[in-house]
Amino acid sequence: MSKNLYFCLTIVLAFAFLSSCKKSDDETAETPKPLFYVPDGFPAPSGQLQNNPVTTAGFALGRKLFYDPILSKDSTVHCGSCHQQFGAFAQVDHKVSHGINNLLGTRNSPTLINLAWHSEFFWDGGSNHIEVQPIGPITNPVEMDETLNGVIAKLNRSSFYPAMFSSAYGSDTITSQGILRALSQFMSCLISANSKYDQVRNGQAAFTATEDSGYTIFKSKCESCHKEPLLTDLTYRNNGLDAHLNDPGRARITTLASDSGKFKVPTLRNIVLSYPYMHDGRLNSLSKVIDHYRSTIIQSSTIDPLLSSGNMSISDSEKAQLIAFLNTLTDQTFITDKRFTAQ
Amino acid sequence: MKKSISLSILTLFTIMFVSSCKKDDDTTTPASTTYASGEVTLAFDNIAGSTHIDISGATNYTNGAGETFTVTKFKYYVSNVTLIKEDGSSYDVPDQVFLIDEADSNSIEAVLENIPGGKYKGVEYTIGVDSARNVSGAQQGALDPANGMFWDWNAGYIFLKLEGTSPAAGMGGDFMYHIGGYKNSNNINAQRRVHIDFDPSTLIVDGNKRETEVHILVDVLEFFKNPTNYSIATNGMIMSPGATAMTLADNYVDMFSLDHIHNDVK
Repeated sequence: MSKNLYFCLTIVLAFAFLSSCKKSDDETAETPKPLFYVPDGFPAPSGQLQNNPVTTAGFALGRKLFYDPILSKDSTVHCGSCHQQFGAFAQVDHKVSHGINNLLGTRNSPTLINLAWHSEFFWDGGSNHIEVQPIGPITNPVEMDETLNGVIAKLNRSSFYPAMFSSAYGSDTITSQGILRALSQFMSCLISANSKYDQVRNGQAAFTATEDSGYTIFKSKCESCHKEPLLTDLTYRNNGLDAHLNDPGRARITTLASDSGKFKVPTLRNIVLSYPYMHDGRLNSLSKVIDHYRSTIIQSSTIDPLLSSGNMSISDSEKAQLIAFLNTLTDQTFITDKRFTAQ
Repeated sequence: MKKSISLSILTLFTIMFVSSCKKDDDTTTPASTTYASGEVTLAFDNIAGSTHIDISGATNYTNGAGETFTVTKFKYYVSNVTLIKEDGSSYDVPDQVFLIDEADSNSIEAVLENIPGGKYKGVEYTIGVDSARNVSGAQQGALDPANGMFWDWNAGYIFLKLEGTSPAAGMGGDFMYHIGGYKNSNNINAQRRVHIDFDPSTLIVDGNKRETEVHILVDVLEFFKNPTNYSIATNGMIMSPGATAMTLADNYVDMFSLDHIHNDVK
């Protein structure tokens, strides 16, 4: 009996699904992707959304919080201040992050791209879960300088947050877990997988000859760290910026001397947009980044083995080809998606 | 005289006990030798030497290095409790984590639920939070990161916080010991196991028929000694996992000792 019912329900749902598919086919134009999805060719996500499945209401709450300066002590700075959509959710043209009272941090705001495939966060990987990552910027004295309890108190005084929590979680009680999970739902949905590079991978577009040459150079000289398709292998490496390290990087977290000067390999997706570059934003153009790899790599005890043989051999024409390829990593859909914009 | 009073009380209780058993017999017919499951309370009495600790900062204490200090904050996690049965087998209490905070009188009793009935001869627990709970995202209750026991920059729980003032602490006179670390790499795991034995006849769990309170003394002076005599002047600010935190974690194991057990028949 219940089996039959289940069967009927399945058929009804299947019809509903098919008809909705047909409808979207009729529209032909780009159907928006679901909020969270695994793009073709991507590996499995990290699994950190396991206890926090993305819902429309949870995502909307996360977006509201992401763009609300109420999260900062003096209500001047929100997450989007240092993670701007047009800059692929990095802070364009800022070497290091600016917090409240114009205080400066020590590191360059990372992009927020395909974070559901990451299991550690920050340049040094100090945060071990996407749900607890936002505690860092919210409580850091030179970023938002607020406390979780302070945020909860302010949200409780709001005219609309309790209702948004109720929609998202079925209860209008505002908890740190509710805040953090909503933010991680929003961040997990910041998926970039529709650049020209992706379209070429999916057979929907073709590289120009120059881009194609650049891709070949990329594969031989960059891809071992900036691994496809995430364009990062999510490891920590010393890329030879300094001889004397004023930021211990990964070693700050592990206390291992062998991790000194290592930083997380950033994704190259939307790399043209997210200047300046390196953990401290010291290089303000891709041209300078490539120049670093071909002429100023500094050897040290923790230099990455892939760079220990010295500077890379990249000619000027190869450099131009490489930059042409890096330009194909820009995803206009991603940076213009209205769902990711403050509302 | 005293003996005879206690004897008569015992008799009275025995009668009550037997009669209550009879009542049960009418409905459930348990064997008279089986004990019902119930709660066990671990009550933590935070002390400094011989007196209850004062966290107002008004009382001076002296550590093993001869330095005077006051205390303004004292809180720590107790988790993964295991009760040792009379026959040596053990019962792991599932899923309960306690944040014992001297500033919150509601927090100093850890109530363990659904403990199998029977006689127990010891208890074990972890000072801190196990590794899995350190990597499980945003949690609630005792593990809510809003409790101020979570590092954001190097994510993971602070297992124990001891803060106060001391002339030995250098400029400002404040000391802060935030001890934690769950990673096994490079020996920076501050989880420590406490083991407390007691006479097996002193803790019988039998439904709600008996009190089952284990009172544990937690002596803050032991934080600074055994096995390592620690001087505040050496470093008054330990706020990250590492070698010094490990020294202090080794020290915090023997802060805990058995005071007494309440196991009277109610």
